[in-house]
Amino acid sequence: MAFREKIAWLTLATMLVAYGIYFGFVGPAAGFGERRLLDIVWSFGIVAAAHAVVVTVGAIIIAVTATKDAQARADERDRAIARRGATIGYYVLIVGMIVVGVVMPFSEPAWRIVNAALLAIVLAETVNNAVVLLSYRRGWHG
Amino acid sequence: MAERRLTNVIRTLRFHAGEMTQAELGEKIGVTRQTVAAIEQGKYSPTLETAFRIADVFGVRLEDVFRWEEAG
Repeated sequence: MAFREKIAWLTLATMLVAYGIYFGFVGPAAGFGERRLLDIVWSFGIVAAAHAVVVTVGAIIIAVTATKDAQARADERDRAIARRGATIGYYVLIVGMIVVGVVMPFSEPAWRIVNAALLAIVLAETVNNAVVLLSYRRGWHG
Repeated sequence: MAERRLTNVIRTLRFHAGEMTQAELGEKIGVTRQTVAAIEQGKYSPTLETAFRIADVFGVRLEDVFRWEEAG
């Protein structure tokens, strides 16, 4: 398995767990910032920081166990797959931002808008990584 | 129009080149071992530049490495 594919697996798996915890448990426990917007910063911030730490540690472990692969520069296939993931993830993000920035302000309170924006970012990153993984697994024909 | 796909004989060419490994070929053409494997399995269509590099490594013409064949 390519080094970048392993990193994509790591990122996707930890992202689903981390933000599943936020939107399923930590967020509801903090009322998603309904009473105090600052609660979002703490609750989401802690989950995002924990996610970053786990991904960093995981990436170091993967790199140490496959030093040669980790040192290799991304080749044309890696770059093509990364572009495909980023392009499709971008469309998801754009739709999310239109909903959050153009539609929701007319009817929704700030705490919902903020959480919807965070969800859009998480969804876009999830789609990005899922597309990257699918492209590595099932093939890529530009 | 009939469905076509890109096929190749890189595995055979590697065999005839003294069992050259995928990693060795990858190093010569500037891609990873996994990308060579993906090309061989038909999971990735290389750029024209890489396709020419592969042909160069084995000293053959491009059409001796890759074929544009009807699928199925």
